[in-house]
Amino acid sequence: MLEPVNVSLESLNLMTLAPMLIPIVGALLILVVDLFKSNIDKSLYVMLSILFLFTDFMALAGSSSAFMQNGTLLGLFDVMLVDGLAIVSQFIIVVASMLFIPLALTSKRFHEFSYPEFFALFLFMIAGFQFMVATDNLILIFVGLETASLSLYTLIAMHNREKSFEAAVKYFTMGALAAGFYSFGSMIFYAVTGSVEINQIATVLVANGFSDIGFVMVGFAFILASFAFKLSLVPFHTWAPDVYEGSSAAMAGYMSIVPKIAAFIVAMRFFEFLIHSGLVWVEAILYVFVVVTMTAANLWALVQTDVKRMLAYSSISHAGFAMAAVMIGTTQANTALLLYWVLFTFTNLGSFSMLWISRQKKMLPGQNSDHSYEKFAGLVQSSPMAATIMALFMLSLAGVPPFALFWGKMYLISAAVTSGYTVLALIMALNSAIAGYYYLKLIVYMFMKDPVDSRYEKVIGSNLSLSLKTIIGIAAVGTIFAFIAVDPLLQAIGGFVYNSGY
Amino acid sequence: MEIGLNHYLVLATILFGIGLYGVMRRKNLLMLFFATEILLNSVNIGFAAISHYYADLTGQMFAFFVIAIAASEVAVGLGLLIVWYKRHNSIDLDEMSVMRG
Repeated sequence: MLEPVNVSLESLNLMTLAPMLIPIVGALLILVVDLFKSNIDKSLYVMLSILFLFTDFMALAGSSSAFMQNGTLLGLFDVMLVDGLAIVSQFIIVVASMLFIPLALTSKRFHEFSYPEFFALFLFMIAGFQFMVATDNLILIFVGLETASLSLYTLIAMHNREKSFEAAVKYFTMGALAAGFYSFGSMIFYAVTGSVEINQIATVLVANGFSDIGFVMVGFAFILASFAFKLSLVPFHTWAPDVYEGSSAAMAGYMSIVPKIAAFIVAMRFFEFLIHSGLVWVEAILYVFVVVTMTAANLWALVQTDVKRMLAYSSISHAGFAMAAVMIGTTQANTALLLYWVLFTFTNLGSFSMLWISRQKKMLPGQNSDHSYEKFAGLVQSSPMAATIMALFMLSLAGVPPFALFWGKMYLISAAVTSGYTVLALIMALNSAIAGYYYLKLIVYMFMKDPVDSRYEKVIGSNLSLSLKTIIGIAAVGTIFAFIAVDPLLQAIGGFVYNSGY
Repeated sequence: MEIGLNHYLVLATILFGIGLYGVMRRKNLLMLFFATEILLNSVNIGFAAISHYYADLTGQMFAFFVIAIAASEVAVGLGLLIVWYKRHNSIDLDEMSVMRG
């Protein structure tokens, strides 16, 4: 006979769930609104999404002040884990989403935004990412990851173009494989330790001195492969350029930011106890991944003829750059990773939005890709403003001081040097130099060359609307004035990361 | 011979290998979905066996979640497949080569 279980409501600590529940409620509300009155203008849904994301932001602010007072919070039978990492990464996720959703208000009509389901799925996806970062239970990580990924596949396919279906199917296949790897890896860790919580896995493994090292190695390989898919680390990156090309530019920008920060946080939680336990081979494998990802993606980016594919390879390279911080694993490196990603959010969102404003419904005769370099040739003559802003984002991506990403790169490289990874720091610096070449190539096209075809002039900026201008403005201001914000940001993030023990 | 934990784990690994091979080699989308199902369900066998071995329910909980996720994955996948079929009258992966890579 089973005893009835008595659980007091306080011990559940339901407040830890609030930030995830808010977008879920918002998504359901959007669906209900559509049920009662269909054919509402999309701006209502955009506003509702922003409203709920803002409420989410406030709830996060609440839990961050609770964290400041009481330290790490646990809730719901210790499944939820709200520590500094969870809070900072959720802030990044929510803010990036708030900046993304106004991009739906374009001056041209697009298929996907006319469905309220787009916004509902978008909010579900955010809740999935938030669950993923705010737990150390492998089950909840898996559920969050899949909630988010399944929504993302659908969002890509809703763009309703030949290429976007292809992109969605490719991403789906890769994602299903990654899900299989992830669950097999967790099965091995469960078999070795009898637990699915990362901190207990760590405790058990350290207590028995890694006696089953062979199994740990296999499990680590599977988990690493699944996250390498999500983070698009070479050689698991093959889907990334195609998926970026197939989805809308706004969605591609979003995909280069938010899913990756969620995966970085889980990778941090999972890999760092292995590295700190003195397993040299874990460090060696991650080292190889980091170096190969940075370098190979940079070399591929050099030969691209399409700006969007170039940016896709550049985001792969940036992901490798940030993965170095996970490998180094000190508090300074983890802080640098989060700072890097905050700055990267603004810059990359801006550069993908600049592609989004030049989105064409139909390609011109003789044009073989959506955002070819030729399209931007001589842009400075027709619209100097757009050319300058685009150049600004490119310079920031290349790491030219004083723009945003320079600071991120500097802190990350200095973290590598202080931890004794001088060679790695050198490789990182060299890669920034190589990357400069292809960013400058676009600037050369915009400023030095003459327009290839006068019809491109009308196309660029044809998708521009007030809300797109606002988002690009915010991104530009964030990129230019980053040097003011870097110090306070570093203080705040450093406090959160240090107090949660990473 | 007593059937122990290791036998189940070996079975799970073999099924995982079959699923992995299927995902890599199959060119038909529907067959590819079957392969991912095998991939995920092999893990379920492992979880159920380990859970019994440790007399701990967590593994079975994980297996239930994996079942639910596999089901929703197929739902999304079939949606994509139907759209693809309507446009191309084929569900062959080789036709997906508009983009390089």
